[in-house]
Amino acid sequence: MKILILGGNGMLGPWAVKAMKDRHDILLTDINDPYPDYEGRFQKLSADDVDGVVKAAEGMDMIVNLSVIRPHRQLAFDVNTMGNYAMMVAAREHRITRVITTGPHFQMVGQQYEEWDFDLTPDMPPAPGTRLYAHTKALGQEICRVFSERYGIQVITLLYYNMKHSWNLGGPEAPVVYHEDMVPFSTAWQDCGTAVQAAVEVSEERLASKNEAFFIFPDLPHRKHDNEKTRRVLGWKPRYQVEGLWNKEYRKPGSNLTEAF
Amino acid sequence: MNLLITSAASATAQLVAGALSGAHTLRLTDLPENASGNIVPNELNHDADTDELVADIDVIINIGYQGQTGSNTHLMDYHTRRMYNLLQAASDAGVPRYVNVSTLRVFEDHEENLVVTEKWRSDPSAEDIEILTAHMAEYVCKEFARDRLIKVANLRLGWPFIGDGSGNPEDTAAVSHGMIGASIQEALVSEELIQWQDIHIQSYVEHQRFITKTAERLLPGLAGRLSL
Repeated sequence: MKILILGGNGMLGPWAVKAMKDRHDILLTDINDPYPDYEGRFQKLSADDVDGVVKAAEGMDMIVNLSVIRPHRQLAFDVNTMGNYAMMVAAREHRITRVITTGPHFQMVGQQYEEWDFDLTPDMPPAPGTRLYAHTKALGQEICRVFSERYGIQVITLLYYNMKHSWNLGGPEAPVVYHEDMVPFSTAWQDCGTAVQAAVEVSEERLASKNEAFFIFPDLPHRKHDNEKTRRVLGWKPRYQVEGLWNKEYRKPGSNLTEAF
Repeated sequence: MNLLITSAASATAQLVAGALSGAHTLRLTDLPENASGNIVPNELNHDADTDELVADIDVIINIGYQGQTGSNTHLMDYHTRRMYNLLQAASDAGVPRYVNVSTLRVFEDHEENLVVTEKWRSDPSAEDIEILTAHMAEYVCKEFARDRLIKVANLRLGWPFIGDGSGNPEDTAAVSHGMIGASIQEALVSEELIQWQDIHIQSYVEHQRFITKTAERLLPGLAGRLSL
């Protein structure tokens, strides 16, 4: 499959590329240079450059949008909202039948859900509220929905939240804290990447509609969110259960597991 | 009341301003490339200029459909990012109410025989960027209402806009100029509105396309004005 990846050099991109590089023909794009060990095709491109994205998408079978900007208001709208608009225009122009977009779970699970309810599923109506990151990503998701309904483009939205290093359960922004109140939507980086692969490769027959969203996190005991659909439809099987964060009896093996990666 | 009207150079804003100017103090604003005369140029960026724009305003009237012209990306940016900036500034300043002037064209692909009301999900076009961006502006507004930062009346106006008494029988979704002004005037003061309130506005015409019971209920001052 020929896949255009937008925003591929952020935090998730390398893991998605690692999961797919031997199985698909990837054109990686980003405003930043790729990681030094990346050996595939690369083009410098901003996700919000509509004409550029349309041009890069020519001949592609699929577009995967991994682009993200969080804190800066102008850039957040440019990347998170306009980036999805660019992707959908490109899909329409080139009759690309599937796109995959990614974002934080709270572009759907806003505070009105999260602070009140349990067993939250990815099929709820989005209620992102006004927090910049959630709001701008939700606008992008809404653009995808409208284009999907109008043109029959298959949209798969993968929703993440807290990404963790599998080897020590730390994250990119904060040191690990064991056996305290964890984010009940935490996922190892490797599994975040294989979820993109699963979305790329899932057969159309398994998807109930042209616009499907999935929560990407392993089996966690909180029952705050529900990943059943992700396992059932995408066939995604997370390797890491981040158990050290929620099980007080969890013990690290002497080898620290780091040799697995 | 102190009212701020956006996209003030547009025909819709001019119509609204004309209807409200006698009873209210108006502050008109538009992007610098459109602003002239008494229109305050403002980019609606995330900055002090936008904060100043909304200071001491009681109600913002936003032209959410056909207020701007330009490229697709300009319209998408205006109706998402700039709306967010305006609403955030308004929320921070304690502006209590926001009237978003949208369009019933977000339902135009529904067949005319359907009894479309505010309880129907809109089905905006992806081909017509003005309709798509009107829908996106509604989305932004709704989230500010959802977070209870500001009360939003989302008035979806029929089309075309016609002078009073000049309807064309084929225009089953027409709305008169007088009706537009009167409905916005009522939306400024109605105490019947919930935090997010869709209201469909069109004139009484033969084979009227959209039901206007909600307008009659929530904007009682419209009684007798729905006819052309």
